[in-house]
Amino acid sequence: MSQKTTLIIGLFAVSLVACKSEFLDVKPLVGSTEANFFLNAADAESATIACYNNLQQEVTNIQGSSQLAPHFRWYFGDIVSDDSHKGGSGDGDEPELFLFENFQGLASSKLMLAEWQVAYRGIAYCNLAIDRIPDVEMDETDKNRFVGEAAFIRAYWYFNLVTMFGDVPLILTNLAPSEYQQTRTPSTEVWAQIETDLELARQALPKRSAMSVSEIGRATWGAATSLLAKVHAYQSEWAPCRDLTYEVVSSGEYFLEPDYSKIFTEAGENGSGSIWEVQYMNASGGNWGNQLEGTFTNVFTRARGQFGGYGFNIPEQNFVDEFESGDPRLAASVFQVGDQMGDRGEFTLEATGMPHEYYTKKFFINASDEAPFGDPNPNGYSNDRIIRYADVLLFHAEAQYHLGNEGAARLFTNEVRSRVSLQPIPANMTGLDLLEAIYHERRVELGLEGHRFFDLVRQGRASSVLADAGFSAGVNEVFPIPEVEITLSGGNITQNNGY
Amino acid sequence: MKKLLLAFSFVTAVMVTAFSQGKAVTGMVTAAEDGQALPGVTVVEKGSQNATFTDLDGRYTLNVGGEDAELVFSFIGYTQQTSAVAAITEINVQLVADVAGLEEVIVVGYGNQKRSKISGAVGTIDSKEITSMPVLRTEQALQGRAAGVQVTQNSGQPGSTQSIRIRGTGSLNNSEPLYVIDGIPSGGIDYLNPADIASISILKDAASAAIYGARGGNGVVLITTKAGSKNQKPQITYESYFGVQEPWKYMALLNAEEYAILMNESRSAAGLTPLAALADPSSLGEGFDWQDEVFERATMMNHSFSFTKGTETSSTAIGGSYFTQDGIVGGDKGNFERYTFRVNTRQDGGERFRLGQNVNFTHLNRSALAENNEFATPVGRALNMDPITQATREDGTFAYSNFIDSDIANPANQIALNNDFWTTNRFVGSSFAEFDILSNLTFRSTMSVDLSLGSQRIFNPTYDLGIGPNDPDRPAYEFRPVNSLVLGENKWSNWQWENIVTYDKELSNGDDLKIVAGYSSLSNRSTSFYASRDSLATNDVEYAYLNNSLNAAEQAPSANGGISESAFVGQFMRVDYGLGDAISLAGTIRRDGSSRFGVNNRYGIFPSFSAAWNMTELPWVAEKDWIDFLKLRGSWGQNGNADGIGNYDYTSLVYNGLNYTFGSDQVQVNGAGPINTSNPDLKWETVEQTNVGIDADLYKGKLNFVFDYFVKSTNDMLAVVPLPGVVGYLPSATNVASARNSGVEFMVNHRNQIGLVEYSVGGNISFIRNEVTGLGEGGQPISTGSVFGIGDLVSYTEIGQPIAYFYGYETAGIFQTDEEAAANTALPDAQAGDVIFVDQNDDGTVDGADKVMIGNPHPDFTYGFNFDASYKSFDFSVFLQGSHGNDLLNGVFRYDLNTTNLPVSALERWTGEGTTNVYPRISHSDPNQNNRISDRFVEDGSFMRIKNVQLGYTLPESVMQRLSIGKCRIYVAASNLFTFTSYSGLDPEIGSRGTLEIGIDRGFYPSARTFMAGINVNF
Repeated sequence: MSQKTTLIIGLFAVSLVACKSEFLDVKPLVGSTEANFFLNAADAESATIACYNNLQQEVTNIQGSSQLAPHFRWYFGDIVSDDSHKGGSGDGDEPELFLFENFQGLASSKLMLAEWQVAYRGIAYCNLAIDRIPDVEMDETDKNRFVGEAAFIRAYWYFNLVTMFGDVPLILTNLAPSEYQQTRTPSTEVWAQIETDLELARQALPKRSAMSVSEIGRATWGAATSLLAKVHAYQSEWAPCRDLTYEVVSSGEYFLEPDYSKIFTEAGENGSGSIWEVQYMNASGGNWGNQLEGTFTNVFTRARGQFGGYGFNIPEQNFVDEFESGDPRLAASVFQVGDQMGDRGEFTLEATGMPHEYYTKKFFINASDEAPFGDPNPNGYSNDRIIRYADVLLFHAEAQYHLGNEGAARLFTNEVRSRVSLQPIPANMTGLDLLEAIYHERRVELGLEGHRFFDLVRQGRASSVLADAGFSAGVNEVFPIPEVEITLSGGNITQNNGY
Repeated sequence: MKKLLLAFSFVTAVMVTAFSQGKAVTGMVTAAEDGQALPGVTVVEKGSQNATFTDLDGRYTLNVGGEDAELVFSFIGYTQQTSAVAAITEINVQLVADVAGLEEVIVVGYGNQKRSKISGAVGTIDSKEITSMPVLRTEQALQGRAAGVQVTQNSGQPGSTQSIRIRGTGSLNNSEPLYVIDGIPSGGIDYLNPADIASISILKDAASAAIYGARGGNGVVLITTKAGSKNQKPQITYESYFGVQEPWKYMALLNAEEYAILMNESRSAAGLTPLAALADPSSLGEGFDWQDEVFERATMMNHSFSFTKGTETSSTAIGGSYFTQDGIVGGDKGNFERYTFRVNTRQDGGERFRLGQNVNFTHLNRSALAENNEFATPVGRALNMDPITQATREDGTFAYSNFIDSDIANPANQIALNNDFWTTNRFVGSSFAEFDILSNLTFRSTMSVDLSLGSQRIFNPTYDLGIGPNDPDRPAYEFRPVNSLVLGENKWSNWQWENIVTYDKELSNGDDLKIVAGYSSLSNRSTSFYASRDSLATNDVEYAYLNNSLNAAEQAPSANGGISESAFVGQFMRVDYGLGDAISLAGTIRRDGSSRFGVNNRYGIFPSFSAAWNMTELPWVAEKDWIDFLKLRGSWGQNGNADGIGNYDYTSLVYNGLNYTFGSDQVQVNGAGPINTSNPDLKWETVEQTNVGIDADLYKGKLNFVFDYFVKSTNDMLAVVPLPGVVGYLPSATNVASARNSGVEFMVNHRNQIGLVEYSVGGNISFIRNEVTGLGEGGQPISTGSVFGIGDLVSYTEIGQPIAYFYGYETAGIFQTDEEAAANTALPDAQAGDVIFVDQNDDGTVDGADKVMIGNPHPDFTYGFNFDASYKSFDFSVFLQGSHGNDLLNGVFRYDLNTTNLPVSALERWTGEGTTNVYPRISHSDPNQNNRISDRFVEDGSFMRIKNVQLGYTLPESVMQRLSIGKCRIYVAASNLFTFTSYSGLDPEIGSRGTLEIGIDRGFYPSARTFMAGINVNF
């Protein structure tokens, strides 16, 4: 008996020894791990492209759930402003956005989570690139450029965060698990970091004229300088805003596209007045904003019914009325009943099945130009025009006004007006009237491009202009911090006033 | 039922009843153990229908054909006896009590065990139960047959998988049990021919499953296929059935007139002018029945044969089968076909050496329609499509709707255009060699492979339902200008090598010692390749191949593919010790390692102990002669659940494809980066389970009881716990969550015979309570289950509650007046006719914080019940199965679209004060969000279903002998004959989508009612 038991135990022991640990070392054969990435210039470039990639993310999967949340710029820039209404199939379509439009938005909204999470996801890739690329052995110019691009994109995300939420955690490296619970950084420090990043980017990035056509869409000196000017404008720092916008104007890199209506066509993409666009293209097999290079804005903003869209971002009467008679920008911005919607047919209420009399035109594409991939609602190609030269000119005008140079303010505003053959602002228009005229010009020139709400807040006019919609001064200048983020920070992150 | 009766009379008519009366035999039947008379014993003249049974004194008289007759004496609980008549006229018989049930050998992990000695909780299903009713898939054989095992279909479409939960949902991740077929762990059992199966054992408690270590946490289903036995005459069996399936229920929806009335009202309420086409509702009449359009009668057919033979030194089993089933939606567009071939052989290579092989090849073909989502499925579209639009116009072309667009396109056109084909070729085989080192020490080595090749072909042809070219009115989903093709190839391979030693010895003191020890290694690999192209020259699916693309030369096909691998090793040992006949003790230990675990936790150790106390010989038990057998069992153990872990979940992969477009030519440039955080601590989920049970046989085996109580705790459960957004990357799964399932299972069987009627009646019931006990630091609940028509997530997993319960707003009726609505400031946008949502926290607004549990998708109890009876050559069986106390979420209708068809309950809408307090007003504008997630969409999902009814007739042997056939049985059967439920949807038996979406109906593909006729022949 004992002999046999010994034998059994012996056999078991043999089988134990036979277990080789290498058998379990199974390495992934597709893709690489963080450990063997950032080895060469190609890796550095791929890591930089990944920073750009996040700019295209319009509809995101909310962490910890299977819920999709869109976070288009025009959701908050236009719909929450007096330029447009939500639209959709009814009030129950994107109900959380409906609440935000009426300044009843909730901290529990998935839309807030989407804004927050997508921005910090974008920042994480930029942080990784900025951290790791300097150690890669490669051409120094390329290296600086890659880091500059990542810094520019990081600044762009922080600009979005600070204008949406106010004080936000300032994260500049990838976090270790022990660092996951962060607190909010005062917005002044966030603004300062944005300026630092943009200064770095301005030094490292090439001018547009120095780039090859195959590089169109990459961040430029002009984009970084313009965004930096905008950053100063948002802080009412008018002197640096004036100087930076003037640098862009005097660089000769940009001039206004003579035909305003061409800007929003495919031919107008990355045109003469384009400073910074998020690039989209027709690409196969995608909708609902998955990252296949297309935008879902085209479908979202197109009329419903036979036009096959979802009918969001409906221009308000108030916005339509803002246009002077004879301003061709109205017809370039808004579809009205009776208009031909490209090759998709005539706009009638019957054809849309909805009561809305206006639709936004800036993201309209013809059915014949759509990706023919069998999906009835494929992603579209329309680039998102984030900074245009007209925006820079109007910032310059606004800065000059605040610095007391009303003549220059009129001059630069008139440059924008003359492009659409409108009479110049009379030389005798001064003071607040002039400021109103500059504001008016911003609204009609940049309408439905996601600027309006943030402009109103920046200009201190939101509480008066949006009073009827329920805007509450001292509260609605910023949006609520997502409730989940407060919980996940262990309470370290605090809620904004009034939410 | 009428069909059954018809079949019954047919069978009666052909029944051969003639027999002769020659000689009278009398006698008495007594019990061998105590000499008492046995009343009710069946006495049959062998090979005839001639039979009688004993009276109260155990006496019988039977006229037999002649002196060559033989009498067969049988009685429940006793061994059958045969006596030759010869010249004798009085035959007295002593029947011996049958304890074979207790001596029955049960397959357990890496071995066998006598039923009387088993100390864990093991459910068994034998081949007789599997083949007693025609099962289409092996999983169905488990349904309702064993307590604590819940089988639900994930779809009624042919070829769809079923989810099996052993003792509840044990994990937030993979909750499917481990399937081990002839020793080979297999992902899924759809490749098996149910007729090939000899037995199924379900290892329910941790002690039984512990020998499967890190993979046994959800329970183990052990399947043994038929291998033949030694010294067996050649036997050929042929089984076949043919069936017709039909839908058993349509949802009650609005007809065209009612639809028009409601749409007009809905538009008016929103300030819109009613549509001209709907101006005169009464002229529209009944309209079109879309359910009738998409559902149809469909056939199915099965042929199966097997051959078994044994010699002195070998045995062979060969089986083959063909099964085909069309769907009740789409007919052959939703077809499933299965061909199986199996050869199992055993050979002795001398006294001490044995060899064996199992070889199975299965060929599966499936064409599949989209199912079970609310976007673009034929069932969902048929339920949502307006009843005015006809499927086809007068010229026979498919029509589009003028009232609804978006996802709700013509389902008949969708079915006609569907070309989605899957083919799987699967080879599963093993060879083993067994060597007796000593008389009681055996070594066995087994090498096995499970190799699966899957192909997919999806062709989307062009179509245009417009009237004429470029009809501007056709909705976007009703035309596709360019066709496209996707071809895919997948390969899975799974190699395993196991070496086991078994020592089995009866010790000199009468005790038993049995030791099993072994080593197992397993490697998995899967590769995939997909390619697609568009613009094919023809719309004919026959020519749908990549190189038939019109611009094949310049258009590069989109292609992608990859590989994924994993490896497991395990060492294990089990010791069984029997102290006489009274006490059985068992202990197991397994050490498992997996490449899927993080480097910090590569190996886990899983122990278990169990004991059984056979109380039959205790004086107070022995003196009760109605107790034949009584056993108390107890077990404790730990095992793991690792099958839900992805192959590389522990690391943070850098993914390519984070692309961006540059340049005037819009060139995509590759971007790369990590997506998730990494987790070097990643490990198995630990499942700890305690089980106590009682087995009892009473009244001479006429009554059997099995009772079990268990507590199953899952710790270290993997959950993707949300990380603060500032981390940037998506969280990877961490071992932070926990859950607890506890329950009671009860099984009872009674068999008896009354005269010539033998019957058995049995049932099982299980009560399981499921609770999430931990979700990591902060305990952030998990929201899942997006239902688009309601516009929200409906499932919620949080601490202290069952997994994935329904979460939403509680309602408190309907505002009857505008004043009442205005007075409720928590709902500022409400007016008369809108739903009152309850402000649970009384904070003056109804918001996300007011959501509460509005339903529980887990049943209070599930049960199965069977009744079998036979009388002479007839046999009859009924099997029913049910679930009680579970809720379903009815997410069938796309309320977000305003113009879908609606259930007839919509007619009960609020139209003025006092009209209803249940159904809100109907309106195209819904500022109060009446259709937000609320208890209005939760329904009681309890059901009881007559799963199977069967009537069989075995042809008389006299006829069979003339035809040289051993045995021939014909039967008629019906599946899902009746379903008792109050659920309004098409089918209450709704499975899960993943683990965290349970019982959500998004237009579920219902199971069919099936009528079958079949034949089983033994040669």
